Amino acid sequence: MDEKKEISFRVQRFDPQLDTGIYYDNFRITIEKGVTILRALNYIKDNIDSKLTFRVFCQAGICGSCAMRVNGVSKLACMTQVWTELETSSENDLILIEPIKNFSLIRDLVVEMEPLVEKLKNYYSWVKPKMPASEMGKKEFSISEETFQKYDQATDCILCASCVSECLMMEVNPEYISPVILLKSYRMNVDERDAMNEVRLKKVASDKGVWDCTHCYKCVEHCVKNIDIMKGIHELRHEAMTKGLHRSEGAKHAQAFFNDIKRKGHLVEATLIPRTLGIFKTLKMVPTAIKMFFKGRMPPVFVRSIPHKRYVKKIYKNLKKGNYSSKR
Amino acid sequence: MNHFDIVIVGGGGAGLYAAMEVLNTNKSLKVAVISKIYPNRSHTSAAQGGANAALANKDKTDTVDKHTFDTVKGSDYLADQDAAAVLCEEAPRVMRELENLGTPFSRMEDGSIAQRPFGGASSPRCCYCADKTGHTILQTLYEQCLRLGVTFYNEYFILSLEHKDGKCQGITALNIKTGKIEIFPSKIVIFATGGYAKAYWNRSSNAAGNTGDGQAVALRAGIPLKDMEFVQFHPTGLRKSGILVTEGARGEGGYLFNNESERFMSRYAPEKMELGPRDLVSRSIEREILEGRGFDSDAGKYVKLDLTHLGPELITKRLPQIRELSISFEGIDPIEEPIPIRPTAHYSMGGIDCDKTGRTIMQGVYAIGECACVSVHGANRLGGNSLLEILVFGKIAGHEAAKEAQGFSTPSIPDTVIDKYTRYFRSLAGESQYERYAVIREEMGQTLADNVAIFRNAKDMKKAIEDIKTLRDRFKRVKLHDTGKVFNTNLINILELRNMLSIALTIAAGAYVRKESRGSHFRTDYTTRDDENWHKHTMFKLSKGELKIDYKPVTMGKYPLEERTY
Repeated sequence: MDEKKEISFRVQRFDPQLDTGIYYDNFRITIEKGVTILRALNYIKDNIDSKLTFRVFCQAGICGSCAMRVNGVSKLACMTQVWTELETSSENDLILIEPIKNFSLIRDLVVEMEPLVEKLKNYYSWVKPKMPASEMGKKEFSISEETFQKYDQATDCILCASCVSECLMMEVNPEYISPVILLKSYRMNVDERDAMNEVRLKKVASDKGVWDCTHCYKCVEHCVKNIDIMKGIHELRHEAMTKGLHRSEGAKHAQAFFNDIKRKGHLVEATLIPRTLGIFKTLKMVPTAIKMFFKGRMPPVFVRSIPHKRYVKKIYKNLKKGNYSSKR
Repeated sequence: MNHFDIVIVGGGGAGLYAAMEVLNTNKSLKVAVISKIYPNRSHTSAAQGGANAALANKDKTDTVDKHTFDTVKGSDYLADQDAAAVLCEEAPRVMRELENLGTPFSRMEDGSIAQRPFGGASSPRCCYCADKTGHTILQTLYEQCLRLGVTFYNEYFILSLEHKDGKCQGITALNIKTGKIEIFPSKIVIFATGGYAKAYWNRSSNAAGNTGDGQAVALRAGIPLKDMEFVQFHPTGLRKSGILVTEGARGEGGYLFNNESERFMSRYAPEKMELGPRDLVSRSIEREILEGRGFDSDAGKYVKLDLTHLGPELITKRLPQIRELSISFEGIDPIEEPIPIRPTAHYSMGGIDCDKTGRTIMQGVYAIGECACVSVHGANRLGGNSLLEILVFGKIAGHEAAKEAQGFSTPSIPDTVIDKYTRYFRSLAGESQYERYAVIREEMGQTLADNVAIFRNAKDMKKAIEDIKTLRDRFKRVKLHDTGKVFNTNLINILELRNMLSIALTIAAGAYVRKESRGSHFRTDYTTRDDENWHKHTMFKLSKGELKIDYKPVTMGKYPLEERTY
């Protein structure tokens, strides 16, 4: 027989009709090796507490319904083995189950997904067909292997929102475009069959968009389909710059970084704000600057170049020649 | 109150294609898609292998005619040949349309849509995106519906189809998020709710929600169901979980082995081998196991699907998802070891009776996709024809409904239906209720899997019918423990079980009366096809709460009845 173990599931609960806040319930069940987190939750619902609420559908890792945090990390419950989780658990034989973050709670492990749908709409997450309506369905586009490779991996996305849950920027600003929408935008923008590349790019490169990503790489780390989401984000930024969309604050900020490193080998932080925001918005920041000054946190205005600047120059030379790779 | 021209129930590939086509035909129509899950989660996403279309990209000699013949032959001649012809004629157009709309199909060297061989097909005509075809098609259609501004009611569970004097009036549905019962008066209702193979519960490859809701609602409203006894068992489900390994794995060259290291398909389909049609391959595997040539394990008996000879490059490129699933659920990497598999309940050929435009016998009610029975699959569906069906008939029904909607009068639904369901839900939580839904559901799946599966006989099926009737009686005392309004999945589980029990009875009863073997329906007490007595569709209707069975002739065409060998 397969090995068995008694395991505690500590599950976050919340019923908006009864509870003023969240709390945790402990379910102790015996489980054999090979059981997934989702099967364990199904067991609890069917046999112990039929009020336990979570989303479940395909149970095979393709529908994206059951994203939740297992021991603090967002993943698909249906693709996660209980025994594997026990290895990383902080307490013996205990698994912590919580809803994904950065969405409002509906009940227990179920969160409100509508904001994600709204963002899909706001950022044109679709191919607007180049093929005229009268020609639709009559012939195929010819797509080269090279073009196909650009979007192939990105189309693995199942909208499970694990990346949104883990995204640091989303925690700060719920209005932020979010990694999944950036991935979708990239996927649509490299598709030759799409006719609204420019409009989408402009939207993506505006406020709350592609420039707000803080490069924490959490989305890549936690993508359940192992998609290199950051590659898409870098490509979108590159596209925005090459297509002249450098007037947004994000673009100016990036340009200032680029110039500083080129000139000095490191940042000139004191002037970074005016170069990003412009003089008018910077004036509004003066009170903060004064506070920083008195706390001794004001960066120096005059900055010396780093030694061996020639190596930095060499990097820039290579960049210009196009000898760069967006791989991590 | 929401008034609609067209309400589409179900947001999988069929429903979304229909919604798109409605708006493409007439932008001014009020159309809504009502789905119990977010549309992008629908089970269309689980279709891995691909969709058939005679594009002749890979095999220049392929034709629509060959595709039609394969479909009719695969159906064991139970498909209506006019419907099968429409399916195959429209296939190239819908496939190219999907391509134009951004579906990321894999490509041939010349840049055209890639095609691979599939079971029961005389040419390699299955168009695919690696092994995520359904997923990418569903995403594309969802994206396009968002682009066109389709109105979605996400997480609404259908309760009833409302009708007056044989005319459609709309539907009632439970808003899962708020617990409110809402009415949707609509001139036209299109059912696109998917299949019912989850009635086999844990012995099924289906999603938890493929519970035959549309079929059960239609049956209760007096619309007949058709050919319900025909349930396809997919040959290659993973041993432990029943999760699917695409037919594409065999299409790419995978072998099936028994415990004597023999490619046993040579005995059952010497020509097609592993690429025989699904009913035949499933029966062959089951026979190997019954005759002691399977492998044994704690998780049951099985045979092996070997991909190791295909090499790591092909597997990682064309079958990446299979590799992932196999590693996650069996702990086996198909690059290094064969995958343990056994047949699993997979697809419902039967469904709501409709014609080749999707129309049912009730004015204003359509059915499309797996929830419908046109019938294009007859007694056995060919791999790659299910994705195709949802696209073709989704498009046709959407177009037809859009043209028809303006001619119909304004529908109305009395508010009293809301009270009826409120009372019903309250009664479920009553003190005299004590049965547990999970127990009834498990027993239902078990009796179907034991008695109405790959090999069937009168004695077993009779037992299944009795079991299901007992379970239906017990269900009357099922207990609703969760009396909350917000996201009450306990209530949804019970409502789904109610639907599945209706469907389970049609499966068992239909199989019991059909005294022959045809396609997926194989009887050990009537081992051959009997065209003289049984070349006809089984029709199921509710009359005063009792299930009545009747028959309907099969529409023939240019392909005469022939013996089916591979």
